Amino acid sequence: MTSRRTAEGGLIDRSRPLQFSFDGKSYQGFKGDTLVSALLANGVRVMGRSFKYHRPRGPWGAWIEDPNAVFNVTLDGAELPNCLGAATMLETGMEARSVNAFPSARFDLKGGLDLLHRWLGAGFYYKTFIWPDWHLFEPMIRRMAGLGELNTDLIDGYASDQLHDHCEVLIVGGGAAGLAVARAAAEAGQDVVLVDDHDVAGGRLYQLDSVEGQTPRDWVDDQLAAIEAAGGRVMTATTAFGVFDHRLVGLAQQGAFGTAPRLWRIRADRIVLASGAIDRPITFADNDRPGVMSLDAACEWLARYGVLAGRDIAVLSNNSFAAPAVRMLARAGANVTEIDPTDGAIRALGGKRLKGVEVAGKRHPADTVLVSGGMTPLVHLWRHAGGKLDWCEQRQAFLPGATPEGMAAIGAANGSFDLDHALAEARAVARHEPRPDGTGTYRLTPLWPKPGSKGRQWIDFQHDVTLKDIELAARENYVSVEHLKRYTTLGMAPDQGKTSNMAGLAAMAAIQGRAIPEVGTTTFRPPFVPQPIALYSGPHAGQLYHPLKRLTLEAQHRAANAALGEYGGWLRPGWYGSGDPKFHIRDEVVTARKVAGILDASPLGKIEVIGPDAERFVDFIYYNTVSTLKPGQIRYGFMLTERGHIMDDGVIARLDRNRFLISCSSSHTDHVRAHLETWRQDGNDPDRIFIHDLTQAWSTVTVTGPKARDIVAALDIPLDLSAGAFPHMTLHYSSFDGTPVRIARVSFTGDLSYEISIRSSRAADLWQALAAAGEKLGACPVGIEALSVLRAEKGYILIGKDTEGETMPHDLGFGIPRQKKRAAFVGDRSLHMEGANRDDRKQLVGFSVEPGAPALPVGAHLVGEGERPRSQGYVTTSHDSTTLGHPIALGLLERGADRIGERVTAWHQGQRFTATICAPCFFDAEGERLHA
Amino acid sequence: MRDDRHRWAAHDGRWPRFDAQGISLATTEPERQTLISGPSILSHYPGAIEWPDIATDDSYSLCLRRDRILRVNGLEMPDGWNQEQEQAVSDASDAYTVFDLSGPKALDLLKHGAELSLQKPSRSVARNLFGFGVFLYRYGAEDGYRLHVPRAQAHPAWQTLTRQAVRL
Repeated sequence: MTSRRTAEGGLIDRSRPLQFSFDGKSYQGFKGDTLVSALLANGVRVMGRSFKYHRPRGPWGAWIEDPNAVFNVTLDGAELPNCLGAATMLETGMEARSVNAFPSARFDLKGGLDLLHRWLGAGFYYKTFIWPDWHLFEPMIRRMAGLGELNTDLIDGYASDQLHDHCEVLIVGGGAAGLAVARAAAEAGQDVVLVDDHDVAGGRLYQLDSVEGQTPRDWVDDQLAAIEAAGGRVMTATTAFGVFDHRLVGLAQQGAFGTAPRLWRIRADRIVLASGAIDRPITFADNDRPGVMSLDAACEWLARYGVLAGRDIAVLSNNSFAAPAVRMLARAGANVTEIDPTDGAIRALGGKRLKGVEVAGKRHPADTVLVSGGMTPLVHLWRHAGGKLDWCEQRQAFLPGATPEGMAAIGAANGSFDLDHALAEARAVARHEPRPDGTGTYRLTPLWPKPGSKGRQWIDFQHDVTLKDIELAARENYVSVEHLKRYTTLGMAPDQGKTSNMAGLAAMAAIQGRAIPEVGTTTFRPPFVPQPIALYSGPHAGQLYHPLKRLTLEAQHRAANAALGEYGGWLRPGWYGSGDPKFHIRDEVVTARKVAGILDASPLGKIEVIGPDAERFVDFIYYNTVSTLKPGQIRYGFMLTERGHIMDDGVIARLDRNRFLISCSSSHTDHVRAHLETWRQDGNDPDRIFIHDLTQAWSTVTVTGPKARDIVAALDIPLDLSAGAFPHMTLHYSSFDGTPVRIARVSFTGDLSYEISIRSSRAADLWQALAAAGEKLGACPVGIEALSVLRAEKGYILIGKDTEGETMPHDLGFGIPRQKKRAAFVGDRSLHMEGANRDDRKQLVGFSVEPGAPALPVGAHLVGEGERPRSQGYVTTSHDSTTLGHPIALGLLERGADRIGERVTAWHQGQRFTATICAPCFFDAEGERLHA
Repeated sequence: MRDDRHRWAAHDGRWPRFDAQGISLATTEPERQTLISGPSILSHYPGAIEWPDIATDDSYSLCLRRDRILRVNGLEMPDGWNQEQEQAVSDASDAYTVFDLSGPKALDLLKHGAELSLQKPSRSVARNLFGFGVFLYRYGAEDGYRLHVPRAQAHPAWQTLTRQAVRL
């Protein structure tokens, strides 16, 4: 046993032993331990396996920077994957299993992969698994790749609470500098929030003998008490994982294991970053062996958890922090040997069991090698906020440079590694005073990876990225750090470059003969440490993940046995009845064609454009000319994007001289409203045009079919419904049972139709009255599925279904406005570009299928006959039309309008279908029923 | 083409009062809600409620944006363009379902869904609350709040508020 628990010391509660297991073996720790500190206390050293070579891994760091000890942890039936063992607080009953290892981290069946390392360098999979087909290898690679396993069992109640808050000063980090600035700011009357990711604040202070004349614990307690007494808030076990726009900081507050962290979104007037610094590895041969650890981590394990990392310890450090650390470890009972790592080539000796280290040919027996390659300030959040970094030659590290608005960095995060200097700096920042001069006493000798040196030298412990991988990437011209990262996986996943980035950058700099700051860093992105997805989803789960809009008439539809489904963001009746939907849909179609169907059309957009410039504006917005409409008239038209592509279609009615009503597609209402608001303020006078979206104020019930007039007439609406007095594409005001209604004669079925709109609070009465009147005549309610068949029979399109992202109006047969409209309109210019005038554009056509033949599959590619298969278009809509007695389809086909009468082949998943190209209107082409 | 009727909780259109965790939630039905837009609308309706103003009268105006208010329980006005006042008017009485939320923990509940602070004023009462675009302001008392929720989203908004409330 190399590491062990000391007889005294640390912040753990030795009166509260906790039982747990690791890889099936039982151990004991204490309250206040982390999983890793407890395992070290029990002499466990191998805690994981590396990603690619399955090399044994021991812990490197004592907190979130450790990339090696990654566990799947189960407690009381709740299993969480990929927990960082060094930052997971021990709870009794925990069962931890190492990831990427079977049956255990100590003995892993895949450990033999390391013997193949010569063939598994960076990017090997890009080069190796080409022949005969990547897809043969893909399943195996996918099974092997990744860390940890997701348990598909849901944890009851695992949902993050989410809160928003605000403060004047948010301090990230509860070490010496963070506590000092928080106290000073709070006592100056500022609203302060201090967050620290440990359960116990204090950072690295517990490694010291005293702080300003007090024991570290007393000093920390005094600061916390003073902060809270001054009205400040302290949040421990809380990680600031990201800084977003306008100083919004994302905080993950941990609770008991197995419960989702709470998400705080705190907007701060000022952010003070006191996130500290971490030790970085030295790159040498076999530096990944279990037992090669961070010197600072060893001090933390000793100071916080009362765990001595080894008995015979060799210390390799290039900086001035080594001396107090060596004294601390020796005082705790370790035999410590200091070795100058700059003397020559270094190599770790031993395998799973470390035997020592060889430096410049001289062997130094040891069971533990503690390494410090210099301190790296944690500047991730600084970069999230857009702060710049400056290279510090003295510290050999990137330090916060140009400051983002409302942000400051202090303490070790700012390179202020000396305690006195950090405290003075923190207090000055709190009081908005000049910072103290000087850079402190910290000194180090630069010690970076040496390209070309012997042995396998690890840069990224977690992903098995070695110095040779960096060299290989450089040879293959992946010299940008961003390319280097993606080619080698350097610094990806939980590590996010915390331990690997600096060595990787330095290696690339050395290979290219450039200075480290010239190579630069990769992009720092949130989250700073991994967070569960539940943190972000919060209450937005189940029905509330993406809640559908609900119809006012939903209760009536349910009472009518409607099958409800999502259609364009609304929960709408697809059909009415239980059992086989095809039967019900067919029945609804037949009834609608023979008698009438009653449809809830409430989601149709009802956006009013009001104002003295409304007429000019709708002309500008629409492809068609709208200004020629008289009050009470309706026109069908398109809205285009600036590129001339169809954005939406629908009808627009003129209500009076300065008021138009846009009835856009149900699913596009929000988009259309935003489109109108955008153009209202761009090139138009926004003081003379106003957009009111009243979609949800009005409900609409449509009656369609040959008996529609009779059904509406049964409502005793004081209006002449005859074709002469109320022709197609007109609108009238009237009333139903004393409530004003708007009735429009528009049709989406090809039959006589009345759309009756009424204020939503009276919609149920209207629906019941129409349903009762319809029932007497044999009509029935119809759902969206039947409507879809009815409109297809007439050749009416659905935007987004029968159009694609490049469809223009003339592709659908609406070419006149493009040629003749004089007023400017959105998309006009694009309709005259070369691409818009190609003669091979895909055009809307119909497809007639012989009776008895199968319907064309939607999405089938149209490949023509007798040619080498090439997609010339595709089927967009297809139904077996009961009305017509044969299948029908719509589609987009190259030069389709010129190919009417041709036979065409549709290919779909290996099957071929044939059909005849025809005009897209299959029903009442003369419009007699429409205008009845 | 799926029958998802059982996947979505039915709503019968009724809103039984919710009382739990020091929070009360109920619907109320203003007689009239009128959207009024115009280039100088805020000067026509001085005193339009902003955040964190408290509306105390039965009839009041909400400031939605620099050129738009929502008049609550105002006089009936004809829809359309009022040339004399230079105002666009639309009756929106049925466009929004109105919730009254009150109690000592009401603000805590709201802070779960929106970035709110009584110390941070806003000219507009329009808010994104739990992902819903609502009008939110204080009403009647220091711990009273009123929300105008788009009608089609009222049911999920109610579900969200009540589920969140029991977790406080």
